[in-house]
Amino acid sequence: MSGTDDRVAVETADRWPDDADEDIGVVVNWFAAEGSHVEEGDAICEFQVEKVSVDVPAPATGTLAAITIGEDEEFERGERLAWLRTA
Amino acid sequence: MAQQEDDASELQAERSLTMSRAMVEAIAHEMRANDEVFYMGEDVADYGGIFDSTEGLLEEFGRDRIMDVPISETAYLGAAVGAAQEGMRPIAELMFVDFFGVAMDQIYNQLAKNTYMSGGSVNVPMVLTAAVGGTYNDAAQHSQTLYGTFAHLPGMKVVVPSTAYDAKGLLHNAIRDDDPVVYMFHKRLMGIGWLPAPDGPKTGVPEDDYTIPFGSADVKREGADVTVVTLGLHVHRALEAAEDLADDGIDTEVVDLRTLVPLDTETIRDSVSKTGQLVVVDEDYCSYGVTGEIIASVAEAGLDDLQGVERVALPDVPIPYARPMEDEVIPGADDIVAAVRAVRGET
Repeated sequence: MSGTDDRVAVETADRWPDDADEDIGVVVNWFAAEGSHVEEGDAICEFQVEKVSVDVPAPATGTLAAITIGEDEEFERGERLAWLRTA
Repeated sequence: MAQQEDDASELQAERSLTMSRAMVEAIAHEMRANDEVFYMGEDVADYGGIFDSTEGLLEEFGRDRIMDVPISETAYLGAAVGAAQEGMRPIAELMFVDFFGVAMDQIYNQLAKNTYMSGGSVNVPMVLTAAVGGTYNDAAQHSQTLYGTFAHLPGMKVVVPSTAYDAKGLLHNAIRDDDPVVYMFHKRLMGIGWLPAPDGPKTGVPEDDYTIPFGSADVKREGADVTVVTLGLHVHRALEAAEDLADDGIDTEVVDLRTLVPLDTETIRDSVSKTGQLVVVDEDYCSYGVTGEIIASVAEAGLDDLQGVERVALPDVPIPYARPMEDEVIPGADDIVAAVRAVRGET
């Protein structure tokens, strides 16, 4: 979580496939653009590890404030993908 | 059509979907609304379709309505035709359109003709979905589009979407149609991780259901100088070519056919009457196919408008496996740029 109350990080740790040996993922699709409204639970992006695709649900209802890992970009296990603003 | 485009771009900021997810949304909506709708095919249940055409549907609808079938296209397409004649509304998937051969009697003699042969006592409200297209090195038996083959044979409507927005509206329309529809989705447009789509097919998609009528081509880019008519993946390659050409002051119009049967000749002819120059781009084989048909339809009704014609299509050869060779035969944006220059008399 972030230092301020109204920001929520979009994390991937709990979405990582259990049987994956690989610690590098790649963001395949963003379904919401920066600045758009998202509802908690909606799939906002999709990443892939060892060819397994995983949807990432919005952790809260709010605005997608900043995407930190864009489409086709690689990231390490535990890295955050985006920030939501809930206030 | 302009209204649809406005809606699509307006919604882009809110929610975008890949083409596969837009298709799944349409199927799920129709299955909730009508118990007679079901989906059958190879690896469509647990796997969710090898190109994600049914991803997630098994969980909601169960194995009676999302059915994996044995590897016999004749058996399960025949079963789907029978179910349709008995009043159900099956969607049956050919994993690769290339596999149509073993089941062609079920497709072109039964699916397509049973309404006529029965004197109208039965109809066949079935959708045959099929993955089409190359560009990912899957060789000659898994890379074809075969648009012309299906469009040639009477009795089937033929749909080829190029964006998520179009894919959803056209699929709603297909499932609600009381006659056979062949719905050909290009693998490269689906938005799968291992087969990345170009920019363009992922669009804003309304959550509610909507239909796009068949026989309405869509002008994806307006232009005054040259008309490019195309479909499927090559809509996006044509748009890329148009951007390149715009840098040199050439204003290209891109017409997306969206359906081959029925064919919207009016939109094509209107465009050619404006530009005078026609380039037809197709991923299917060149001879006896979409390119020749489009050019003939313009020539028959508006020959005076036509100052120049070029076609860009796959040469009449098996699609090679090797990447540089496949890239050579499947038309690229650079080939479309060259054809536009050629039709304008530039060398």
